[in-house]
Amino acid sequence: MSDKVKKLFREEPKIVNIGLEIFYSSLKDQGIEVVQVNWQPPPSIEKRLKEKLDKIL
Amino acid sequence: MDIVKNIVKVNFFRDSLQLMQLSEEVKKMDGVLDAAIVMGTATNKEILEKLNLLTDEGKKATSNDLILAIRTRDESLLPKIISTVEDMLMKPLTSLQPSLDRAYYTIESALEALPDTNLAVISIPGQYVKEVALKILERGIHIHLFSDHVPIEDEVELKKYASERGLLVLGPGAGTSIINGKAIAFANKVRRGPIGIVAAAGTGLQEVSVILDRVGLGVSQGLGVGGNDVKESVGGIMTLDCIKYLEEDEETKSIMVISKPPDESVLKKIIRFIEEETRKPYVLCFLGVKKYTPPKRLAKRIHSFRTLHSAVLDMIKLTDPERFKDSKAKISLKLSELKKLCNMLSKNLKPNQRYLRALYTGGTLMYESLLIYREIIGKDVYSNAPLDPRYKLEDSYKSYMHSVIDLGEEEFTAGRAHPMIDPTIRKIRLIEEAKDPEVAVITMDFVLGYGAHPDPVGAMQEAIIEAKRLAEKDSRNIIIMGHVCGTEADPQNSSIQEEKLKSLGVTIFPTNALMAFASALVAKRCKISDEKLKKAYKVFLDV
Repeated sequence: MSDKVKKLFREEPKIVNIGLEIFYSSLKDQGIEVVQVNWQPPPSIEKRLKEKLDKIL
Repeated sequence: MDIVKNIVKVNFFRDSLQLMQLSEEVKKMDGVLDAAIVMGTATNKEILEKLNLLTDEGKKATSNDLILAIRTRDESLLPKIISTVEDMLMKPLTSLQPSLDRAYYTIESALEALPDTNLAVISIPGQYVKEVALKILERGIHIHLFSDHVPIEDEVELKKYASERGLLVLGPGAGTSIINGKAIAFANKVRRGPIGIVAAAGTGLQEVSVILDRVGLGVSQGLGVGGNDVKESVGGIMTLDCIKYLEEDEETKSIMVISKPPDESVLKKIIRFIEEETRKPYVLCFLGVKKYTPPKRLAKRIHSFRTLHSAVLDMIKLTDPERFKDSKAKISLKLSELKKLCNMLSKNLKPNQRYLRALYTGGTLMYESLLIYREIIGKDVYSNAPLDPRYKLEDSYKSYMHSVIDLGEEEFTAGRAHPMIDPTIRKIRLIEEAKDPEVAVITMDFVLGYGAHPDPVGAMQEAIIEAKRLAEKDSRNIIIMGHVCGTEADPQNSSIQEEKLKSLGVTIFPTNALMAFASALVAKRCKISDEKLKKAYKVFLDV
């Protein structure tokens, strides 16, 4: 078994929750160590600029 | 006279869970008779219409706009109500979530704060998943991916990347996992024990782990891989990895693999792997495909069943043979007992009450029931997600003859919280079914656990009472059946939920398959040949 999976199966989960806060709450309620990321979609202008930059570079 | 007011906020987005919480707050405000704050999707407008909360103003909203719909009796209160709601909408989102002490805005800063993170739970829009998930995998962290609508090529890329590095990508569309006894996303608080589960069927994993818990058995790890994993395009990458990991895990003594219909090539691959590369006992349940029979030399080690109910019974027999008889009695009924119960229930039905209506929130549970209905009732059972496309409902919002509805399907959830969290859509539907004089029996699942509604039965209580009252007013009797998919350790406590159902006159069943079987018997008034019935019982409810 991969060491990473073996570790996951042996250790307490430590979780980063990216998105819905409801999952943060229910993980916290179970006594799990968890941090919340309030993820936001990248602004569309940035995406267009990035595509242009990608082309140039 | 009641006044209904709609205010549309153009290009204003809030997620469905936040809006549901906000709607509940607004309903409690002085002078408010009813309220809903929703994004202007077609689904939401349809629901506002049914709640008599939609005006011409609201009809114009698009899915990018927010609709604030209020019913009041006192017009003079409206400006105050509206300005309070607008203030609430402007508040930072986290103020709605009191348990959140601190939120991060980048993954990097969050990981700095919790350096030994071993799992990421991701629930962001599907098109953005790949970039975020790769960042996580690069750091050697496993993923439970709740998000839907992840492009299939992204899923394949992420899973291949993870697989090569010995990492898990559970999902996309993984509703449930149980890691070291902890419930991830929508999962129940179940005992720990020697049984490992790999599932490409979210509520299937919940149902199986909950039934095992009910008879005192427990789960080592429950790994939800997402429905697409067993499709040809993904090729079972994570299903095979998870089987391999559980096979090597010392705490896992036997393994269940459950799935909605896999593609044939993937099914073959999984079976070949289990036959040739594993040594532990396996119980398989591939719903909706022809039953697999293992070669004779493996018949003792590998078993296969057509319902979750039978598969769990078999796993109980395998794990705890001495207590099997007692355990079976806890979660099943003999055919004679079932017939007796259904005859008793049907006694007061009128001859024209011949249809059943099943209102599901759990997709796999609905699928399992369709398999049973096809056998007992026949092919003509209509659904928004039928086994045979010929029996697809023309309008998912309107039942026809025997109808089985998955309220978690896209047409009911666009811009809304899932019905396991927001009961509104099922409340409306239950009342509509109760008005139909040809309906004999209505079934419902109540899925408990972390992430689900804090009181799923309580939320339906008013609608159940109203449904019964409507039937009574029409001098009819209507049978309502319920299955609570949950444990006593769940935040909602299954015993409390079941007691509530009983006090409402709902007949409860310990498993979904049992409820489906019983409701079919009621609709048919048990008029099915003994031979056919015995055969169906053996296949779906026995081992």
